[in-house]
Amino acid sequence: MKHLSRREMLASTGLAAGGLALSASGVGAQSLSCSDVYVGTWGGDYQDLLIANFEKRVLGQRKVAVSHDVANAPPRKTKLITEKSGRRGTMDVALLSESDMYEVYKQGVFEELDFSKLKNAGNIIPALRRSYSIPHIYSGKIILYNPNKVSPAPTSYADLWDPKYKGRVGFADGLYVQIIESAAIINGGSVTNLEPGKTKLAELKKLDPKVYPSNEALAAALKSEEVWFTIMWRARGIQWRNAGIPVALAVPKEGATPIIFEAAIPKNAPNKDCAYAYLDAMLDPEGQTGFAAKMGYVPTVTNAKLDPKLEADLSFTAEEQKKFIIPDLETVAKNNAQLLDWWNREFKG
Amino acid sequence: MAMAAASDRQRSLAPLLMVPAALLVLAVLGMPLVTLFRYSFNRFVPGQGMAEAFTWANYQRFFSDPYFINVLGTTVQMAVLCTVLSLILAFPVAYFLARTQSKYKSLLIILTVFPLLVGNVVRAAGWMALLGNNGFVNTILIGVGILDTPVKILYTPTAVVIGIVAVVLPFMILTLQSVIESIDRSIEEAALNLGAGPFTVFRRVTFPLSLPGVLAGTVLVGILCMNAYATPVLLGGPQFKMMAPALYDQMIRANNWPFGAALAFVLMVATVLLTIASTLALKRRTARDQ
Repeated sequence: MKHLSRREMLASTGLAAGGLALSASGVGAQSLSCSDVYVGTWGGDYQDLLIANFEKRVLGQRKVAVSHDVANAPPRKTKLITEKSGRRGTMDVALLSESDMYEVYKQGVFEELDFSKLKNAGNIIPALRRSYSIPHIYSGKIILYNPNKVSPAPTSYADLWDPKYKGRVGFADGLYVQIIESAAIINGGSVTNLEPGKTKLAELKKLDPKVYPSNEALAAALKSEEVWFTIMWRARGIQWRNAGIPVALAVPKEGATPIIFEAAIPKNAPNKDCAYAYLDAMLDPEGQTGFAAKMGYVPTVTNAKLDPKLEADLSFTAEEQKKFIIPDLETVAKNNAQLLDWWNREFKG
Repeated sequence: MAMAAASDRQRSLAPLLMVPAALLVLAVLGMPLVTLFRYSFNRFVPGQGMAEAFTWANYQRFFSDPYFINVLGTTVQMAVLCTVLSLILAFPVAYFLARTQSKYKSLLIILTVFPLLVGNVVRAAGWMALLGNNGFVNTILIGVGILDTPVKILYTPTAVVIGIVAVVLPFMILTLQSVIESIDRSIEEAALNLGAGPFTVFRRVTFPLSLPGVLAGTVLVGILCMNAYATPVLLGGPQFKMMAPALYDQMIRANNWPFGAALAFVLMVATVLLTIASTLALKRRTARDQ
């Protein structure tokens, strides 16, 4: 009987989706002390685009086999925290949003990166750089509205509080911090003082806002025109608009809040050499361009060139960038639990 | 004499056979539970996670907070309602399956088990497609002119009841069917012969004799209903909270492991108490009937 090697086993069970070293030409191959890398990521488009743009194209040449640990962010965060005391973790690379990444980093899970091991590190947009992670893609939080139903076009988060749109504002449950932050900004609060957001949202509650369990459920409600307004990432808005959902994009005059999706290496990653190779691949300019074009996010390296028309669609203007509201990750980490409690009990309850 | 001694020795060694299973249960169930129980006395530090402590604060918070008491109340109500509904719906089906002489009996039993082959999440997704504002049910009701505007079913407690009952019904049917099958048909025939109507036969003969099955089914289904997670999340929507989703929120979304652990133990104790209460009530009923 033929015994399957671990790699064959993973491939046969679908765990190594797209991760096998497909391009075995050896061109450009450099020696690594590992041949496998375990990546914690979201599934769906995100995973598919990682495979297409970085894993097959860049890592394939280095004969690195990739396995994915696919789940939404909260269970993966819990897994990272649970495993932190173990000598050997199960993830080499963790992909999370910046606030989740910071929260987990503060608990001592991630190592400080050695940027000398990343040949593409010099191209990272300086403002997006952190000591413990690389930025992978970014977008910004804006208003999405139904152009057939909402007129004039909104210019401020405050427009969601207009009584004539009673019952037509919908939110995704997972974005509670971002929703509270938006409400705080128009009610005298700031990124370090989110409390005024609660009183502002209490006002909105009288106008019967809807909360949907997932982004997909919100997209379905926007498509059926059950709701006409939401606060969402610009990239999602572009994806939905391209998919035929009746939404238009409006950057609020208060300023958009950037969201960065990042990658980091746990201290107990079993294959650190390959983890660095994976992070470097994620900064590959061509891969970043391919990922951005499909996913609607903006590249995080200066040498990734987008088609000018696409760039105008995805990016924020210089004027809009100047007004960016930069979230305070420490405030979010310290307040996440109490904000979630308030959201569940007072706003949704 | 020697044989008797050997037999005694065998009997005294018999409990040792349980040791491997007991060790396994201890390792995979007992130890994590003890760890979680210890966590429930720790302290939560926002932004940092769990800190070592020994405090009752998490339990105090639960029992002094009307929101969480309400979540527990909703959970118990849903569990009782879904268990009773599944009992009412399952009994006729189980009776038919137990008594039928059809050559298709095995096929019917396989069909009953069939929904268990599909995961809860997938089934909930099916209900979402059926019950949504633009779902099958509303489309039909509007199409035939019964409704003008869609009626809201998805993201209501009604949707959760429908979803949970559909999940637990096969468990109730199979448990009842196996017990009803063991009731001698001639006892029911004797009662009919002595002039009892079908309803009296059911009330005085069939139902009392099937009480062990009712008890087993109620306990099994009750436990499943108390701990339901996917169905309330997907069909009840974000506004509807039962204990398992609330527990998930604390453990996974808020990273508040100590409070999440306390919720887990409150849910476990509540489930055990309800199980004991229903067992005692049904046993008393059995004793009274006898």
